[in-house]
Amino acid sequence: MATYTEVSLPLPVLPEGWSAEKDFKALGSLSAATQRSIEPVGPHFLAHARRARHKRTFSEDDR
Amino acid sequence: MSAEEAVTNGSAPAERTTIGISFGNSNSSIAYTTAEDKAEVIANEDGDRQIPSILSYVDGDEYNGQQAKQQLVRNSKNTVAYFRDFLGQDFKSIDPTHCHASAHPQAHDSTVAFTIQDKEGDSPSTVTVGEIATRQFKRLARSASDFLGKKVDSAVVTIPTNFSDAQKAALIASAADAGLEVLQLIPEPIAAILAYDAKLESKVSDKMVVVADLGGTRSDVAVVASRGGMYTILATAHDYEYAGVHLDKVLQDHFAKEFIKWNTTDPRENPRSLAKLKLEAEATKKALSIGTNANFSVESLAEGIDFASTINRLRYETIARKVFDGFNRLIEGVVKKAGLDVLDIDEVILSGGTSHTPKIASNMASIFPPSTTILAPSTTPTAINPSELQARGAALQASLIQEYEKEDIEQSTHPAVTTVKHLTNAVGVLTISSDEEQGVFTPIIAAETPVPARRIVHINAPKEGGDVLVKVVEGGSHIKVSQIPKPPKEANDDEDDSSEEEESDDEPEEHREKIWKVGKPLAEAAVKGVKKGGKVEVTINVAGDLGVTITVREVGEKGGVRGSLPAP
Ligand SMILES: Nc1ncnc2c1ncn2[C@@H]1O[C@H](COP(=O)(O)OP(=O)(O)OP(=O)(O)O)[C@@H](O)[C@H]1O
Ligand SMILES: [Mg+2]
Repeated sequence: MATYTEVSLPLPVLPEGWSAEKDFKALGSLSAATQRSIEPVGPHFLAHARRARHKRTFSEDDR
Repeated sequence: MSAEEAVTNGSAPAERTTIGISFGNSNSSIAYTTAEDKAEVIANEDGDRQIPSILSYVDGDEYNGQQAKQQLVRNSKNTVAYFRDFLGQDFKSIDPTHCHASAHPQAHDSTVAFTIQDKEGDSPSTVTVGEIATRQFKRLARSASDFLGKKVDSAVVTIPTNFSDAQKAALIASAADAGLEVLQLIPEPIAAILAYDAKLESKVSDKMVVVADLGGTRSDVAVVASRGGMYTILATAHDYEYAGVHLDKVLQDHFAKEFIKWNTTDPRENPRSLAKLKLEAEATKKALSIGTNANFSVESLAEGIDFASTINRLRYETIARKVFDGFNRLIEGVVKKAGLDVLDIDEVILSGGTSHTPKIASNMASIFPPSTTILAPSTTPTAINPSELQARGAALQASLIQEYEKEDIEQSTHPAVTTVKHLTNAVGVLTISSDEEQGVFTPIIAAETPVPARRIVHINAPKEGGDVLVKVVEGGSHIKVSQIPKPPKEANDDEDDSSEEEESDDEPEEHREKIWKVGKPLAEAAVKGVKKGGKVEVTINVAGDLGVTITVREVGEKGGVRGSLPAP
C-alpha cells in the first residue's frame, strides 16, 4: 500500500470562472535536474532496482 | 566434509552465512540479523563488541582485539595497529603517525608491510598490510562463526566515502584470503542511516541528514539526502587532525604535567610509560562520557612510581575545547559545502566511538536549530549506540542481499542503475494560511529527490467544502535573516550598499528562518463538489525522464482528475 502525508493548511476555493478541459490545465514542465548517484543500499533501493529492471511503475508495484 | 567441497567462486546464495563488518583503523565490529530482522552486534570470545583492530604476537601466538591492545605496553614492536587505511596504498601515500608506538609500516614493493616476530624462533617476518588485514578478518569470521554456530563465509563491509578503487580492491582481496566473500562494500555513513531507518521502517520520510562519524584516528562527515528510503550523498569531508586520539592526547598531557609536578621525569619520554599513559587516558575519557568525574590511575607509571588522580567533566571539556571546536568546524563546513544551511538539516546522526562524548552532542544542539534532531546517547534516549551503527547497518544490508546471485548484486549496483536524475527544486501545491491572502507553498516532493518518484498527500479542503483548486508549482527555499531591532541610536546617512555586511561589528541578534518561494507553475486542477470537512488526495508521480503525472480526487472517492506534463 502506498503511504501518504497529511497537510493541514487548506486548499484554495476554485476561482469564479475557472474552467479547463477535464478540469486539468498543464502549465509547464519541471526544471532541468541534476544527475547524481543513489547509494545501492537498503530495502527501498532494492525496490527501485527491481522496478527499473522489470520496467514497472509504482502502482504496478503496489498490486 | 561439506565445507571442504565449498564452491571455489563464493558460496551459492541459498547456503550463505553472511554478516556485517565494520572495520576501522581503531576498532572492528561484527553483526548479524536475527530471524526477527533485528541487527545485533556480536561479542567476541573476550566479550567485546568493539574489537580493537590490532594483532600482536608473543612466542608465535597471535593475540587480537583488547588482548593485543594491552600488548602495546610491553610488546609494541610485535603489535600491529592502525593499519586499515594502508590497504591498497603505497608507502609514500600513507600517514604512519599513529604507528609510532607499535610496529612501523615500511615500503614493500608497491604496498606497505610490517616486520614482526610472528612465529617462534628468532627470524622476524615481513608481513604485508594485506596479510595483516586477512588475519584480522579471520579472527572476526571465527568469532562470528563461533557465535552463530555456522561457518560465516560472506560479508557486507563498511568503508569510508573516500576509499579509492585500489583500497576497495585490496580490502576485498584480504577478506577473500580469509575465506570471506565480500558481497558488497557500503559507505560508512549510509550504514549508520540504515541502522536508524530500520527502526522506523513503517514511516519512511524525506529528510536531510548529516552523519558525523567521529572515530579514533579520523573524523568523516557526510550530508545525505534521504528520500523515501533512498540515499544520495551530497557532500563529504574528512579530517585527520581532530579525532578520538586527540582527545586522549589532551588527557595524556594533562596528567603527564600533573605527574611532573610531583616527580622529576616526564612519563611521555619513555615509550613504556607513554603507552600506559595513553591507555589510561582513553579509559578516563570514556568514563567521562558517562560520569561527571573520572579517575586516572596507573601502576608504576614512571620510575616505578604509581600515579593516581581525578578529573571532572567540566575541566576536561575546557582543556579539550580545541578538539571539540575542530569537530564543529568540520560539520558546519560540510553543510556549507553541500550548499545548505543548518536550517535545512532535519537530523544529525552522531556515529563512531567518539560520538559518545556528551559535549559533542550538546555542541550540535547549539549549532543546529531546535527543529534538528540530534541522534546521540546524551541527547536522545532511544539513540542507537554510536559504536554499533556501522556494523548494524552492514548486517541489515547483508540480510537484504545474501540470497541474491553475485551477478544480480553487481548489476543492481552498476552506475546504469544508480545514476539517476535528482529534482533541482521542490514540487508542491499552494495552500491557504489563515493570516495571508496569498497561497503558501507546501512541498510534496523535496528537492534532491531521485526519480522515478511518487508522493501522495492528503490536504484539507476549505471547511465548507465545495469546488477547490489544486495548483501545482515548483518551490525554492532561502534563508531569511532579520535583525532583531536594537534601540535606535544615531541615524546613519551612509547609503552605500556594499558596506552593509561589514557593519555587524557589534553583532546584533539575528533571527534566521527558512522561507519558501513559489516558483514555476506546473499545473492546475479542480476537484469539484468536495464534502464539508472533506480532504483532497494529490498524487504526484515523476518519471525517470521528468515527465509528471498528477492525480487529484476527494479522499474516499473513485476516479478523480488526472493529467500529465511532458518531460522538459
Ligand atoms: N564511551 C566513549 N566515550 C568517548 N570516546 C569513546 C567512547 N568509546 C569509544 N570512544 C573512542 O572512539 C574512538 C574509536 O572510535 P571507532 O571505534 O568508531 O573508531 P574507528 O572507526 O575504528 O577508528 P578510525 O577513525 O581510527 O578509523 C576511540 O578514540 C575511542 O577512545
Ligand atoms: Mg570509523
